[in-house]
Amino acid sequence: MIRPSRSDHRVIGHPQRKIEGLAKSTGRAVYTDDITLPGMLHGKILRSPHPHAEIVSIDTTAAAALEGVHAVITGRDMPVQYGIIPWTPDEYPLCVNRVRYIGDGVAAVAALDEDTANRALGLIDVEYRELPAYLTPQEAAAATTDFIHEPKKPGHNGNVTKRVRLEFGDVDDGLDESELVVEGDYFFEGTTHTPIEPHCAIGLFEGDGKLTVWSATQVPHYLHRELARVLDLEGAKVRVVQPLVGGAFGGKSEPFDLEFCVAKLSMMTGRPVKILYTREEVFYAHRGRHPFHMRYRTGVDGEGKLKAVDAEILLDGGAYASFGLVTTYYAGQLLCAPYALPAYRFDSTRVYTNKPACGPKRGHGSVQPRFAFEVQMDKLAERVGMDPIEFRRLNFIGEDTRTINELRITSNGFLECLEAVERASDWKARFRQLPFGQGLGIAGSTYISGTNYPIYPNDMPQSGVQIQIDRSGRVAVFSGGSEIGQGCDSVVAYIAAEELGVPISHVRVLRGDTDFTPVDLGAYSSRVTFMLGNACIQAARELRAKVQSAVGEAWECPPDRVDLLGGLAVDTADPARSLPIAEAFNLAEARFGTLGATGSYNTPKDVHGEYRGGTIGASPAYSFTAHVAEVRVDVETGIVEVEKIWIAHDCGKALNPVLVEGQMEGSAYMGYAEALMEEQIFKDADHGRAGLHNAPSLLDYRIPTSLDTPAMESFIVESNDPEGPYGAKEAGEGPLHPSIPAIANAIYDAIGVRLDRLPFSPPNVWRRIREAEAGGGLTKPGAPSREVGVAP
Amino acid sequence: MHDFAFHRPSSLSDAVAAMQAAGEGKFMAGGQSLLPVMKLDLAQPTDVISLAGLGELRGIRVEDGAVVVGAATTHAEVADSDVVRGSIPALADLAGQIGDPQVRNRGTLGGSVAHADPAADYPAALLALGATVVTDRREIPADDFFQGMFATALAEDEIVTAVRFPIPDGAAYAKFPNPASKYAIVGVMVARTGSGVRVGVTGASPTPHRASRFEAALAADFSPSAIAGITIDPSGLASDPDASAAYRAHLVGVMAKRAVEACG
Repeated sequence: MIRPSRSDHRVIGHPQRKIEGLAKSTGRAVYTDDITLPGMLHGKILRSPHPHAEIVSIDTTAAAALEGVHAVITGRDMPVQYGIIPWTPDEYPLCVNRVRYIGDGVAAVAALDEDTANRALGLIDVEYRELPAYLTPQEAAAATTDFIHEPKKPGHNGNVTKRVRLEFGDVDDGLDESELVVEGDYFFEGTTHTPIEPHCAIGLFEGDGKLTVWSATQVPHYLHRELARVLDLEGAKVRVVQPLVGGAFGGKSEPFDLEFCVAKLSMMTGRPVKILYTREEVFYAHRGRHPFHMRYRTGVDGEGKLKAVDAEILLDGGAYASFGLVTTYYAGQLLCAPYALPAYRFDSTRVYTNKPACGPKRGHGSVQPRFAFEVQMDKLAERVGMDPIEFRRLNFIGEDTRTINELRITSNGFLECLEAVERASDWKARFRQLPFGQGLGIAGSTYISGTNYPIYPNDMPQSGVQIQIDRSGRVAVFSGGSEIGQGCDSVVAYIAAEELGVPISHVRVLRGDTDFTPVDLGAYSSRVTFMLGNACIQAARELRAKVQSAVGEAWECPPDRVDLLGGLAVDTADPARSLPIAEAFNLAEARFGTLGATGSYNTPKDVHGEYRGGTIGASPAYSFTAHVAEVRVDVETGIVEVEKIWIAHDCGKALNPVLVEGQMEGSAYMGYAEALMEEQIFKDADHGRAGLHNAPSLLDYRIPTSLDTPAMESFIVESNDPEGPYGAKEAGEGPLHPSIPAIANAIYDAIGVRLDRLPFSPPNVWRRIREAEAGGGLTKPGAPSREVGVAP
Repeated sequence: MHDFAFHRPSSLSDAVAAMQAAGEGKFMAGGQSLLPVMKLDLAQPTDVISLAGLGELRGIRVEDGAVVVGAATTHAEVADSDVVRGSIPALADLAGQIGDPQVRNRGTLGGSVAHADPAADYPAALLALGATVVTDRREIPADDFFQGMFATALAEDEIVTAVRFPIPDGAAYAKFPNPASKYAIVGVMVARTGSGVRVGVTGASPTPHRASRFEAALAADFSPSAIAGITIDPSGLASDPDASAAYRAHLVGVMAKRAVEACG
């Protein structure tokens, strides 16, 4: 059901500019690397040439003696382990006695300029003792010795970082009772974020013992905590500043070596120190999409209703834990909507390998299983003779319900999403009816709107906002949010303008500085608009009530007759009576004192199952998406061209439809890229140096340019979530998920060939076409044979 | 990038003299291949000798049934040349598919030929059209010019001044490009002349080569079906994450067929 939306908003729900848009589009926006401080030194990090080795010794004498070098540090200068997940700290800022991938940091230099720092790196003499390298998760899982990390318990395989086995309902019975079970093996290749801005940080340690770190981070709060802990400083003397961030997508959502190194190098030299990653280093920092090896068994009854799903997943984690504990759960937990699963089991194992660590990328942990699952859905629909959109409708889970793994679903606009893309793509007239070589595919998905639990256990709010009002009518929002391009500075400005009746241009957003903004946990899990928006509404409404009250007193009318809009306070019963908003604010300040208010948001805590891991995946709300992709396949070359993607997304309520459409298209673009091009891959011993990144450059790592990007059409579905700000849910990650399976399913419609391994690059597609030709030729699949619910 | 001395000679003989005097010298035409590898320190010349000021390397003209293109002619100039488009449209078409507009506006025919990147486009045209490479001291037939990956018949101090392309009866180029660089993963030019059919293949192997089995089949029957059954042996072809040798071998056949179709 679509709940009615309030239509009397003046700002919210209308197309607006991004508040930093002009600065960004004119090159005046300040990113971390734009900052230059007096006396600033430049740092560089020496990286391991071996995928797995012990550090026997490091001699930095010659480097330290080079003219222009101010300091050289190694792992022994910061021998404290850290990690974004408090239970799995397994990284040092610089390796202490072991390197675990080609690119692992072992020493750092601060010098007058980058060239000198690079020369100094060449003078550092590291003696390594090489160890066997595990480059595939299968090898790592089978290891009996030389584990990448020490086992947590004796006798265990230290290469296994996490295993999760959960079962809901009786899967074996469900599969036994199924009329039809489809089984499939799938592979999702690793991909990375490729933000345009490389990671960059500046450290400044001042004489009074205060440390400031400017960083291109998505998580200033966690960085603040980890800097204090690792460097043994008082948290109150550490300040993290987050300038504008040039794209992140999950790739800047935990502390990185450069942030500790600039801090330590500044502490040693007394001068500010900057480190800017090269593009090559961004590929080593990684934390991108895990490669997933997946096996699914999905059963349906005679009517086409899902009976049971059984999943086995092997995650290739790379050298460190990163967010991997969460990824291992998300791999299974986030699959239980938008379809009702009566029985579900997953067995998910993450192993270390000697490659850059994997972590969260847009659609963390659930993009890979969603690909496999939605292709399974397509195979099932065909086998039972149903149109795949009807098949999805038949299995719709509904709204205000619980999933089989006990996640609370509130608003749910998935049916409207299906209908929008079905209609726009002219699906009924074209699916299975286009000429050979052309096809349409459908896929659906769900995603979290934030997580109910913070990364470190605490009962404090997850998001905070403070608003202060000036006598001029200027409103300042001190926002804890992390602006990474998604628009969270703009969202709080729109909310303040909406609630306090001022023009957006009279709102200042002061954000990204732990010295003066309240805590927000960071830009991840699609949590920001939902949580920060609710916090901002709370603060703004407290002030709005004071202004209404003071003006009501002056006008001798009830406060609720006073409306604040368009730069005025207005008497709703007598529209001729109004005050400039600054005068209204002055009345309020005279009546109540200096005008300020705080707002905060914390999630409901009773919306998950009572089982180990039951909180992981629990969200205050879920978004829903459906895509139809149209493709054209050249069977001679294997080239797949995606001609168009229709995207329908239930974001609850579009606070600014322009930004929502931007997120939908950006997500679909990224999914398209992963479907057709992206591969974060490494050489094996037969093709160069084992473990070396195949091609850490933007020439060789494929992402689409604007010329490659397919046409897109976006449909915003507004289900008006009961707990979201003005009804809003997320839009930044959910719309990525269906792109990949929709394209896979469209390829099948075009040429009758299933693609169960990513990416659908020309050589991979050609190989599958050859196999299909050898197995009996290529043909267009047949049209669905029956209507919904009619037995064959 | 390391420091180097930059020379701008005003004559061919000065350029050769500068090279002979240099420790580790490099001629630079458009710089589209040399500068990127210098930025990565993969090339560290002590002296860079620019050929940009040499007027005798410029110009496009028809002479004795051939199009003569000066070595310093940019890819964009070849692509847009009325002379080339009128006499060998396939050559203009090939030049227009090189790299991107920046590369085409700076990169030159002579630079590309002398660099001999195995994935460059021009070698396919030189081989298929039976071109002759003209240097400051001699003429070299295309069949003898390309000797390996980044290896040619040129002496260290020898400068390409022009390439002479005989005008064919018909020709066409079909390319499977690297989507980022637009270099040829496989590029095939097919040309038909009074004396037979020539097929030049680039991108597929470390040295651009002619596909002699295709040439023989097409000489007997110039149609796509004439080569449909001919498979290419993948041994010796390049293999990398973009394309395995087997896939490249397959693409040589597909691109050759498409080039024949485009010849009309």
